[in-house]
Amino acid sequence: MNRVAAIRLIAGREIAERLRGRATWIMTGITTVIAVALIVGPAVLRPPSRPAVVGLVGTSAQALAPALLATAKAVGIDMTTMNVASDSAARSELTPSQTAGRSSRALGQLLTSLQGGQATLDVALRVDTGSATIEYYQTASPTITALLRAVVEEVHQRDVLIQAGVASATVGAAQQPEPVATLTLQPPPSDLAGRSIAALAAGILLYVSVGIFGAAVANGVAQEKTSRTAEVLLAAVTPSDLMTGKVIGIGLVGLGQMAVTVGAALIANALAQSSQVPSEVWVLLPAILLWFVLGYALYAFGFAAAGAMVARQEEVQSVTAPFSAFLIGGFLLTYVSIARPDASWVKVVSYLPPLMPILMPARLALGHVAVWETPLAVVIMVASIYGMARLAGRIYAAGLVRGGARLSWTAALRLRS
Amino acid sequence: MLEISDLYQRFGERVAVDKLSLAVDKGEIVGLVGRNGAGKTTTMRAVMGILQPLGGSITWCGHAVGLPDRLRFGYMPEERGLYPQMRVLAQVAYFARLHGVELHAATSQAQRWITSLGLEGREQDRVVALSHGNQQRVQLAVALVYQPELLVLDEPFAGLDPSAVDFLSDVLRAEAARGTAVLFSSHQLDLVERLCRRIVILEQGRVVANGTLDELRARVPQRLRVQVATSSDWTAALKGIEIVSQDSAGVLLAVTPGMDTQAVLRIAMQAGSVEHFGFESGGLVDLYRQLVPN
Repeated sequence: MNRVAAIRLIAGREIAERLRGRATWIMTGITTVIAVALIVGPAVLRPPSRPAVVGLVGTSAQALAPALLATAKAVGIDMTTMNVASDSAARSELTPSQTAGRSSRALGQLLTSLQGGQATLDVALRVDTGSATIEYYQTASPTITALLRAVVEEVHQRDVLIQAGVASATVGAAQQPEPVATLTLQPPPSDLAGRSIAALAAGILLYVSVGIFGAAVANGVAQEKTSRTAEVLLAAVTPSDLMTGKVIGIGLVGLGQMAVTVGAALIANALAQSSQVPSEVWVLLPAILLWFVLGYALYAFGFAAAGAMVARQEEVQSVTAPFSAFLIGGFLLTYVSIARPDASWVKVVSYLPPLMPILMPARLALGHVAVWETPLAVVIMVASIYGMARLAGRIYAAGLVRGGARLSWTAALRLRS
Repeated sequence: MLEISDLYQRFGERVAVDKLSLAVDKGEIVGLVGRNGAGKTTTMRAVMGILQPLGGSITWCGHAVGLPDRLRFGYMPEERGLYPQMRVLAQVAYFARLHGVELHAATSQAQRWITSLGLEGREQDRVVALSHGNQQRVQLAVALVYQPELLVLDEPFAGLDPSAVDFLSDVLRAEAARGTAVLFSSHQLDLVERLCRRIVILEQGRVVANGTLDELRARVPQRLRVQVATSSDWTAALKGIEIVSQDSAGVLLAVTPGMDTQAVLRIAMQAGSVEHFGFESGGLVDLYRQLVPN
């Protein structure tokens, strides 16, 4: 049997056994449900958009309606007004209505709370001689309150000036402000929020998937070692073929799981016609795929070596702790790279092989990776994978058939196969 | 033929196998016996390529053993090595395929061995759900499914009930009759004595005896059993002869070179009616105790 056939057979067994096991399907189901919920959920829970409704209490306030609507239109605010007879009527309309019915009361309150209430009015305005009151239930849009305040003040100024004998045309000209131009030195990208979400999503996906499937490799190797199956296997295949087959098999199952999750998310996004998911997430998919393959390969060989060092299955978690620490570090640095994408040190650490699979796609999503950087990063990564495979192969071959207590990393690095 | 010459292996400061040499012919069953740590498992693991010995050579049919040869070797490790969650038929067929058997043939041969080893109806069970004895049978099926030319079995009888022991013995005899060379280790010396044409006794990594049972007997003093119907202690007259044991079955004497056994008979006859007088062939247990002192 040639090496390729042996590796294919070992990988095939991994795939077949994992697809037969319930754990694989349960995990695929959970990740798919979470992904779909994250896409569909906001669309379902989001309240239907409607114009802000301003209640005008009393004739003085109601007289301001044309000015309010004109100003709102001028500054692009979707707003409407509603005449209200009294303060008590306004307060009643400002208070969110509660969903009736015993069984659905809790859900109704939750949805009301999530959707910001179901009150008729968002804010109420009363104008008296010498004073004005803006009233709201719990919170009000600062833009709306600022607009109301500005219109009330403007009308008040005009009334005072006209009463003082200033000509109406002069007042009008005085209140016509000089146009103020704004100049932004470096405007933020119009899709900055979307890019940040995409970077974070890529970071989470790669951190979780590389971690989960890397740990699956370590557990699989540890099981073969502790059950002595490795001893029977090594009579027929070389340690490097055994390790490679296992890494490839589990990696393909991982890719399949990712494909199912991402596929379900794509379908959900299309069906929900949601604009919640930034387009950058989908554009980034090939890059995420590439970095999953590279990141998984780097970590999986390390996890395989770690699995061969244990004496008991329970020791897997502690022996793989250094890899988990790197993965967590990479994930946390994703937040930093979003906050400080231009920082030179962020760029430097994104080239460290253990952090690269998480930070590179995040930086890519943020649009801070030059064209030449990705090929360079891939070359560095491939070289690192080769080095890791060589080192891990040595530890794996010697550790797999070694009895006795768990090996320390220091002792493992001194081993010869 | 498997030939091991001057095999040497050390773990740290401890020498596990020290210049060990032995051979197993095709169709021959060779038993490897010795106390724990004598070097049996290390020798077998070296044959299977699981560890690389520091010295010596292992050849099969005259050439150094390589991976292509080991694909035709069947192996049963001391601590069983199966995937606990994998189903019986799939597992046996998988190992057949790893040893180069085509998919269809692997499945049919796996089914055949499962049936002949008495596991029919358990094909779709997970290995972990089987009893210890049945797991042992699956392990044996894994070792036999690709019709190996050499069987290396480390403690294959450990933990088996008497009927399973008989069954496994029959399987090994049948394999040897087919021309398979069989090397196995066991602490059950009566079994080794019954099954093996040749026995190799190891002690501290070295071969202390290697041969047929008769050849091993020739290396230790013979025993003479004499039973006399008398109430007196007639053995007092046996000057300079070692008495190994004395019980209701008579007196067992150590026979030394040049000893006058006829004189012993005459003394016995003078003491009373001689009911038994004959040389005794020691069993392997007896021989082992003489060859491997505590």
